[in-house]
Amino acid sequence: MSDFLDSSRLPDLADRPARRHPARRVSARRVSAGRRLALVLALVVALGLPLFLNDFWLQAGLFSMAAIVAAVGLTLLVGTAGQLSLGHAAFAALGAYAYTWTAGDTGAAPAGLGLPPLLALVAAAGCGAIAGALFSPISGRLRGIYLGLATVGLVFVSRHVLVNASSVTGGYNGRRVEPFSVPGFSFSNSEPDYLAVAGVEFEGLHRLWYLFVLVTAVAAALASNLRRSRSGRALASVRDGETTAAAMGINVRRAKATAFTVSSAYAGLGGALMALAFGRIAPDLFGLQLSIDFLIMIVIGGLGSVAGAAVGAVFVTTLPLVLTEYGADLPFLAAPGSGGLDGATLSRFAYGAAIIAVLLFLRGGLAGGLGRARSTLRDRRRAPSAGADGQAQPGRQADSGTAKDPGTAKDPGTAKDPAGPADRPEHELPSHSAPAVPSRSKETSA
Amino acid sequence: MSYLLTQLANGVSIGLVLGLVAGGFVIVFTSTGVLNFAHGSVVLTGAYLVAALQPDIGFWLAALVATAAAALLGVLVNAVLVRNLAEHNPATAAILMLGVDTVLLTEMTRRIGNRILPLGAPWGADVVSVGGVTVPTARVVAAGVAVVLFAALWFLFTRTGFGVAMRAAAADGDTASMMGIRLSRTGAAGWALAGGLAAVAGIFLTSFPTQGVAPSIGLTAFAAIPAWVLGGFDSLPGAVAGGLIVGVATALTVGYEDDLQVLGRGLGEVVPYAVMILVLLVRPNGLFGRQAANRV
Amino acid sequence: MNARVRTAVALVAACTAALAACSTNPDSGDGTGAGGGVKTGNGVTDTTITIGSLTDLSGPFAAGAAVQTAEFKAYWASVNADGGVCGRQVKLDVRDHGYDPQKAVSLYRSMATNVVGLQQVLGSPVVAAVLPLADDDGLYVGGMGWPSVALGYEVAQIPGTTYSLEGANAVDFLVDELHLPKGSTIGHVYFVGDYGSDALRGSQHAAQERGVKIFPQEITPRDTDLSAQAAALRQAGVSAVLVSTAPTQLGSLSGVLDSLGVDVPIVGNTPAFNPALLKTSAGPALNANGYSITAIAPFSHDAPGVRKAVELYQAAAPNGADGWEVPLAYGQGVLLRDALDRACDAGDLTPEGLVKAMHSASGIDADGVFPGKLDFTKAGQPATRSVFVSKVDRQVPGGLRLLTTMTGPSASSYPVAD
Repeated sequence: MSDFLDSSRLPDLADRPARRHPARRVSARRVSAGRRLALVLALVVALGLPLFLNDFWLQAGLFSMAAIVAAVGLTLLVGTAGQLSLGHAAFAALGAYAYTWTAGDTGAAPAGLGLPPLLALVAAAGCGAIAGALFSPISGRLRGIYLGLATVGLVFVSRHVLVNASSVTGGYNGRRVEPFSVPGFSFSNSEPDYLAVAGVEFEGLHRLWYLFVLVTAVAAALASNLRRSRSGRALASVRDGETTAAAMGINVRRAKATAFTVSSAYAGLGGALMALAFGRIAPDLFGLQLSIDFLIMIVIGGLGSVAGAAVGAVFVTTLPLVLTEYGADLPFLAAPGSGGLDGATLSRFAYGAAIIAVLLFLRGGLAGGLGRARSTLRDRRRAPSAGADGQAQPGRQADSGTAKDPGTAKDPGTAKDPAGPADRPEHELPSHSAPAVPSRSKETSA
Repeated sequence: MSYLLTQLANGVSIGLVLGLVAGGFVIVFTSTGVLNFAHGSVVLTGAYLVAALQPDIGFWLAALVATAAAALLGVLVNAVLVRNLAEHNPATAAILMLGVDTVLLTEMTRRIGNRILPLGAPWGADVVSVGGVTVPTARVVAAGVAVVLFAALWFLFTRTGFGVAMRAAAADGDTASMMGIRLSRTGAAGWALAGGLAAVAGIFLTSFPTQGVAPSIGLTAFAAIPAWVLGGFDSLPGAVAGGLIVGVATALTVGYEDDLQVLGRGLGEVVPYAVMILVLLVRPNGLFGRQAANRV
Repeated sequence: MNARVRTAVALVAACTAALAACSTNPDSGDGTGAGGGVKTGNGVTDTTITIGSLTDLSGPFAAGAAVQTAEFKAYWASVNADGGVCGRQVKLDVRDHGYDPQKAVSLYRSMATNVVGLQQVLGSPVVAAVLPLADDDGLYVGGMGWPSVALGYEVAQIPGTTYSLEGANAVDFLVDELHLPKGSTIGHVYFVGDYGSDALRGSQHAAQERGVKIFPQEITPRDTDLSAQAAALRQAGVSAVLVSTAPTQLGSLSGVLDSLGVDVPIVGNTPAFNPALLKTSAGPALNANGYSITAIAPFSHDAPGVRKAVELYQAAAPNGADGWEVPLAYGQGVLLRDALDRACDAGDLTPEGLVKAMHSASGIDADGVFPGKLDFTKAGQPATRSVFVSKVDRQVPGGLRLLTTMTGPSASSYPVAD
């Protein structure tokens, strides 16, 4: 991964600023301790939830976690490397079919390889990566939104292949997905046929939940580490200025292709999880809408941060469900087909409006908004002893309208940023990715 | 031979309409840098307005009103939403447009329902036959309109001060506004042009051989994306060329599917995207694009 | 990790361990009760029977689905007014999935434990995702269109024949009734998937039986200009065209064929025709050459079942669109009601009991809504091989005038199982 770095020419971006400002280091550590606590709590909640959730929420949770894995991969690409992809549904499809084929029964029709499911899960990520690497002649040369549109083609090409290669894929009818299992234990309704924890029967959905939590946590942790690593920083510098990056000794084309490959591997893994959550897959599950949904997730969540991708994935997966599940019975609504405003139409409107509202009012997306709310609360609590920390936090200097979560968004203007460019928020994407959108402030000065 | 000519004519005829749709993508992109995912539903909205208004006020007046309304819709979307984004970057703007698309498409689906609304255009289902090749009259009109519109747009963008200002605003907003260019005006003009163009494209997209306005028209606009991309993201002639290439490639694939059976059935759906990927391999900025998509 | 975090982890781990008293032996039975001598399970209480419907009220099929939903509601309201089923009122729980399979699967999970069966699951990708789950759960699924693939699921009750048998019958109709000579070529324009591809298998089988050729043209719902396909059909010299697409494509194709001077019969499957087409510029061509092979009686049919369906619908939705969805929804209601009655008589109104009761049903034609007596006793076999044949006719409501019901020789010989 780091072989596109020429370390002799790459300045040490990680440590130098921090050494200059030792006081800030303390603050960074404190933030990350608080964050770690939040992460541990989130994990514990995730582990305890199946005791309380019904099948509807379990299923929605499985889809959410599958989406988180794919969205984290996409956020690595978009938020870290500044590349856009609308082809991730194709890689997800590839991962889903790779898992299903590898783990599939040798005697079934269509036949599979009959290998252990764990190996199949690895194969899913591997196939995603290989396909992503094969696309490198394009992904290495195109930038940002241009790459995003070029990848639209992948979705249609892969669908064509899936429908026609019916001996492996089962054609348009698709094929059954072998449940995940380790020797002696199956993540389905059987083997053991009955399992209960604290009086709650743990069926396939419950068991899969824990597998998904594990895979999602590992995938997210790896992604965070990658963003903080030298490779991650190299990618960020490609995002922030290709010419500068090239001058620093980064092989830009290779860096972009590598980011695309890693991202595709995540999509492949996410696809395999989707396959497990569905239980049967067909080409129609992996249409352009899925690619678009992945993109909505990371933008709504807040570009560039792993937490943002996770929040966005949960939002996009569950909001329409909640709206239909609980919104359809509102008393003032017309009956479907009467031409009036019915529940289904209303929930669709609400979903579109929610997307628009987040983008208009929440800088840094949902994660940015949550982070800001958290730091506002903390500020309020600490108000009497303000300044006791002995240093200013980046977010606090700004007024509340532009304050950013110190963990996910730092003021790019200050070179003292302890976390380096990898944490620079995506909304500072330089204008060369596309002509800049005019802003009001520019206009008033004109 | 005459069969080949027929299929070529079919390809050119649908390709022109795709070019009109792709032109809308180009204008919004060059004037404000936004990937307008809602373009398909603006096309649908324009066509729907024509179909809804024409029984009362006649086709021509309805077309005029619909074009103006679609232009206004574009201006409003830009002024109320795009310009007020919390963060200005291409991905955010694109997703914003998806939100707009969801709202518009839901409203259109609700209004149109199970109907297929006739457009009431004077050319109806007429066809023109030249040397054994039959082309729908609607498409001949479309060709004429496309030539006039694109010539006018080309003149606007290259020969007038305002057009140059629009391009300057798109290329470098900061510098442009320092030079005294009002970005709000250039942006509004771009969205208005694209909206009007969408309504015109919608009229031809729902004219014969298509049978009228149904919600699925919004999907058809997606077929214009490969046309836009392979033509070059910021080039109007590129949009037309891209549309023609996609149209002809699709028509020929459909027409000679029997000879291409090894590749599987239903190739017509894949060909535009396959052509797009091939073109991008050779020319990463598309056929007519500026050197913007890649640099290093 | 600092002390605070460590404490938190230790605390929560302890709590989890305390909670997680694992066991692998069931200690209580299912919540099945018995009311009035009838065994009941999910979705059935002493006073109500709840059935579900997973439909598309906001996606591409919203309009047609809304017609069906309105008719379902009207039908069950009339049943309830007559005293309900098994002494209980029937409640229809409608959920919209907007053609999104992920949404549909989650909604299915929320519904599965609260209903005794599903009246409707709409949309190919949704059906593909939900049917296997319903099969695992042993939950009755009523309407899912007519794809052959549903025959492989014990819980599915296809309302009539299959798309493949519609396709086979269409070829038989062209040869026997419209006298297409041996050796002629029939074009078949279809959507890839469990609808169009299934119909194509039927027509290809029939073509082989009847000595004609099929010239297939695959398209997608995004194709709305079928000029290229029409030119290819003319080039192939087709003497008739089968259409297994949506109405938009049928309209474009017949319009272009007409403009090319190709004056041949055009036969659509059940979902291909929409009376709104008659108001478009393709109207005259369809009026002259259009036929429809349907699994369900046309809207204008004068059989008592269809009249009852239309009457219910027009009272419930006076401004609603007329079409095959109305008798279809009525027919599906009748099928489910019959199965519920049988389950009640057998004393087992559980979901499993409902599936079993459904498979004991034969001889249902819903007063002429179906083309013959439906027989659900043979697993893996279609309930009938008969279809309705109608002529497109702008004079009648719903745009289709019934010509005949038929079971063609190739439909009879079509091997349904692989």
